[in-house]
Amino acid sequence: MNWVQMIEDRFLVWRFNRGDPAALCRIYEKYRDSLLKEAAALLNDRAGVEDVLHDVFVEFARSVGRFELRGSLKGYLAICVANRARDLNRMKRRRNAVDLDEVPPRAADGIGPEQAAMSREMVARLDAAMAELPDEQREIVVLHVQSKLPFREIARLREISINTAMSRYRYGLDKLRSILNGELGS
Amino acid sequence: MSDRKDMKRMVETYLGSLETPAGDRVDEKVLPAALTAMHKAKPPMALASHSIWRTIMTSKAGKLTAAAAVAVVVLFAVVDSFTNPVWAIEQAIEAVKEYRAIHITGTIPGRTFESWMRANKSMTQSQDVVARDSNGGIAWVKNGSTYLYDPGPNTVFFENAITQGFSQWLGPEFLETFAKAQGAQVLQGKDPATGRDRVTLLCSLVDVDGPQSWTVVFDVASKLPVSYTCWHNLDRSGEPVCDSTRITYYKDLPDSLFDVHIPGDPAYVEKPLAIAEENIDLLSNPDDGLPTAGLTPQEAAEKIVRTTYQAVIDGDLATLRKLSPLCRNWDDEMLRSILLRTGKSDRIAQIVQIGPAGKTGESSLGALIVMPSVLRRGDNTKIEEKMIVQFRMIEDKSSCVVYGPYGISRVLE
Repeated sequence: MNWVQMIEDRFLVWRFNRGDPAALCRIYEKYRDSLLKEAAALLNDRAGVEDVLHDVFVEFARSVGRFELRGSLKGYLAICVANRARDLNRMKRRRNAVDLDEVPPRAADGIGPEQAAMSREMVARLDAAMAELPDEQREIVVLHVQSKLPFREIARLREISINTAMSRYRYGLDKLRSILNGELGS
Repeated sequence: MSDRKDMKRMVETYLGSLETPAGDRVDEKVLPAALTAMHKAKPPMALASHSIWRTIMTSKAGKLTAAAAVAVVVLFAVVDSFTNPVWAIEQAIEAVKEYRAIHITGTIPGRTFESWMRANKSMTQSQDVVARDSNGGIAWVKNGSTYLYDPGPNTVFFENAITQGFSQWLGPEFLETFAKAQGAQVLQGKDPATGRDRVTLLCSLVDVDGPQSWTVVFDVASKLPVSYTCWHNLDRSGEPVCDSTRITYYKDLPDSLFDVHIPGDPAYVEKPLAIAEENIDLLSNPDDGLPTAGLTPQEAAEKIVRTTYQAVIDGDLATLRKLSPLCRNWDDEMLRSILLRTGKSDRIAQIVQIGPAGKTGESSLGALIVMPSVLRRGDNTKIEEKMIVQFRMIEDKSSCVVYGPYGISRVLE
């Protein structure tokens, strides 16, 4: 994120804390698409994507007047989405509702233009592989690759060392590769 | 699978391809809930706002109704800037200065209206305003706030500023400023209906309400303005936004005329802060304004407003135009007459207090902040004025400019 964006965010947060609804709308519009993608990448059941965004923004809105921005707003919201997605995944698991064979073909319904080079089969395999990653590895892969958060910021937001963040990212990629190569099977 | 870089690339492609729900559908689910949550959790300073999220959800038709009702009286908030020196108006001045109240009737697009206005006791500016249109819309001013009832959504839109009425009451000062209008023309003729002699003033300007043009008709015998027409462009083209057909003058009016009671239980919604988008280009010159690097929004807004008022006090027109670009539309004489009030007892003589920042909003250029100021005039009266500060990011540099006043000034003592 460039400094211009950072300045705009600080300004938006300042206005938000003063109760300006337009500021909240602008924050939402600015990060909606990126957060939706992140939620879609982190949830085992993609039907919950809207719920994640709803819960994150309602909670954020409740902090009006006392919200303190440390670091980037994008990073803060991305972590909130990751936390909420993790909660929903756990709830699903507890209900024994997650059976990878029953996970809807997440990208198969609509393959975007960026995916032209990726087959439906590969998408389905990646869906399954992502779902197999431990939460902490999956989050860091998504936050770094999808949300473009630097490891330093992820480490700060997750309260872990930067080495741990980088290790989890490497382990995550390695495990994905192993799964896709059939070394672990899925 | 070769190495991590390849894997990362594959994950990137995969993540980029993920389908997400349609934005509109998500907006409908998330935004109202978030705005409602924000409203309920608002800090005490913002509790005066009611159901703010509905402002954003209000129908276009509702907004049009509101705008039309406002147009009834907005015009006189800006008319305090015109005249032509060749037109002898001294007699007109004498004619109007005794009247403390007026009644205006006319049309706005799609409806008729009537408006009542009354000056404050010292006859310096309007104090009470009520305007009603034939569709049930009502605009009024009370205790320093402006209200607008829109019967469609049964909603009262309000703002904590006096945005309707005369910044200067009809009288010597008001009419004298007509004489300073840039490019104003005066036509003399007869009213075809009555055969009475009349004088028509044509003028135009760009101010905080965007580009406008006017015709104001004066009856020669009574020396009183008897009608006016206003367009939201500079060349009086197309349908006017307001066409008054009759202005009646009163020495005073009963208080009860200005009491407004809305039946039922309307919602109260704070009107969002906005500026005329037609003026955005004028605010976009990178050489204008004040850099804001290293300053908080509060500090930047305070600094530019303080510097602007100091320029007014010092008569520094170059600084005034640089900090408040809309002033570029006005020539030196007009600026001295309208803003600097050179030689007048009500000129601004001292800055008593700037800030703290008030209402905020947004234009297509960036954030807006209202910065209230307490000022002392040359006649020792204290007033409150509110200035809108526009923040902008041009060529990767952040800066701000003064847009203009938010409503008319309020006499404090």
